[in-house]
Amino acid sequence: MSSQLPILLFLVPFVTAVSMPILCAKRRSWCQPLTTGAISVMVVLAVSNLRVVLSEGSIEYAFGGWTAPLGIAWLNDPLAAMIALTMSAVALLTLIYGRLVVSSNLEKSAPYYTLILLFIAALIGIVFAADLFNVFVFLEMAALTGYALVGAAGGSALVYAFRYLLMGSFGATLYLLGVSYLYAATGTLNMADLAIRLPELMTSTAVVGGLIFVFLGLSIKMALIPLHGWLPGAYANAPQAVAPLLASTITKVALIAWVRIEHSLIAPGVEVRHVPVLVLLEDIGVLAAVIGGALALVQTNIKRMFAYGGISHIGLILVAVSLGNSTALGGGLFYLINDAVMQATLFMIAGAVLHYHGANSLDDLKGVNNRSPWLTGALVVVAISMVGLPPTGGFFGKWNIVLGALEAQHFLAVFAVLASSLLTLGYFLKLFSCWFHHPVTIEPEQLEVAGSLRLSLGIASVTLIVLGLMSDSIVRVLLDSLAGGAT
Amino acid sequence: MAELLQALVQRPNFVVFVILFLWGIYIMAAHPNYVKKLIGLYIVQTSVIFFLVAFSVKDGATVPIVFAELASLEAWAYANPLPHVLTVTAIVVQVATLGVSLALVSAIYRKYGSLDEDEVLKMLG
Repeated sequence: MSSQLPILLFLVPFVTAVSMPILCAKRRSWCQPLTTGAISVMVVLAVSNLRVVLSEGSIEYAFGGWTAPLGIAWLNDPLAAMIALTMSAVALLTLIYGRLVVSSNLEKSAPYYTLILLFIAALIGIVFAADLFNVFVFLEMAALTGYALVGAAGGSALVYAFRYLLMGSFGATLYLLGVSYLYAATGTLNMADLAIRLPELMTSTAVVGGLIFVFLGLSIKMALIPLHGWLPGAYANAPQAVAPLLASTITKVALIAWVRIEHSLIAPGVEVRHVPVLVLLEDIGVLAAVIGGALALVQTNIKRMFAYGGISHIGLILVAVSLGNSTALGGGLFYLINDAVMQATLFMIAGAVLHYHGANSLDDLKGVNNRSPWLTGALVVVAISMVGLPPTGGFFGKWNIVLGALEAQHFLAVFAVLASSLLTLGYFLKLFSCWFHHPVTIEPEQLEVAGSLRLSLGIASVTLIVLGLMSDSIVRVLLDSLAGGAT
Repeated sequence: MAELLQALVQRPNFVVFVILFLWGIYIMAAHPNYVKKLIGLYIVQTSVIFFLVAFSVKDGATVPIVFAELASLEAWAYANPLPHVLTVTAIVVQVATLGVSLALVSAIYRKYGSLDEDEVLKMLG
């Protein structure tokens, strides 16, 4: 039974999604509780899956009993189990928060909840897939539901959803092209199998071209600068309830797919025509981290600012996983988990500010004088974590990345971490100067925020601190997982 | 140069693939009309599917069904079914993408009364 957990994690949201239009045809008010129930079950399953994996080690799940490379396999290792738990927990948080801000036309709409569940099922699929083509199918499933969810807001969101669709589908096509190059050169799609066959083929143009296309395709999906054009507009215009879910999941999961490919297929120190591949990737990451932070600093729209912050972090994580040593790799993956929680919290705060105060831009914030302590508290915690101060998770992630960069003697990476942290500090100072613009009057009329918002913000803030306190053991588990999984 | 030309002439399939792929990208980037952009995207996707089919062609191979009479399994006699399976899956994904994109385009048209990206962006302000 315990070996079936990964597929159950996928099937619970998937089956609920498919049966939602039938179950809720007459009783529209069931949609929301049913979705929350399904995702709560997922969180429980993800926790027990993590426990199983931690005690028994990585498990390869072969569909229909056909083992890889002939059949299709999922790899259930601690990394996948932990990311699956992060994704389902973040989804649950954003769903609880969504009760507050969901617009009236979506609140009781079965298609909307069906899309959310399908989206989460697809994320689980990407996380566990051990097969390049499976990653493609699930990426497209997540992306298609993502386009529809962004477009669900109507109005200007439609235009941005269409732009996202054009770029996202083009990215997926590039990925498919890369996968077919790799298949033509090696005759296999399974990542573990590819890892055995690729090293001797690294001189082949087809393999190098394939890897480049796979990377380009996934960079569009993970919004790596300069391929990030779709992201800020899509997140700023997406429905309030959807933005935190999208911001915290889809780009991170695409990055995880790339980390798996990079970690198993590109050995440290590999050079193609005298170009060290990992150093090149690291430099791309450095550019993305610094430029993303700088672009965040010049934004005046709150959501766009947070979106660029997320783009900058994607670059930072790419730097970490490309440094080629385990300290930085563990730090980067740990930071990725943190980033999912941080992005969810930031977009929840931005959504709540818009909901209660109608504030969309930094200037709007200046007029707000009845600030809720819940919002302020969560914003302070998430700012501490984004900038990277102890005891939050963000600090320990960045700390490990810097240690790894020093170990590898790549001072450019150290510079990237520090520069992006400073830029993060810069835009949070800008935000705080507007947030605390209005002096608190002697008898401040306090804003009572809804219970669902308190719950989701409270859990998210506590999670950020708990992640920081548990960072050592989490990083160790992630590293053991990758060390064992690599061939 | 002569070598390159020879290589190109020997592989007309791949030349067609490259032309279709680049042509699709050009349409996607150059045309302001939303439906034309979609056609461009569709051509790009189709070119990749064409590439998958083109490289899996095997001269003189038969369908990959093993007959019991055959004494030994001779792999060279069969076509590889996997690229075709990938192709079918990719086509399904492509159709789903087309469905979502047409829904979005028609919603944009109903909202803004135009399919021209420049006009719609002007209305967005």
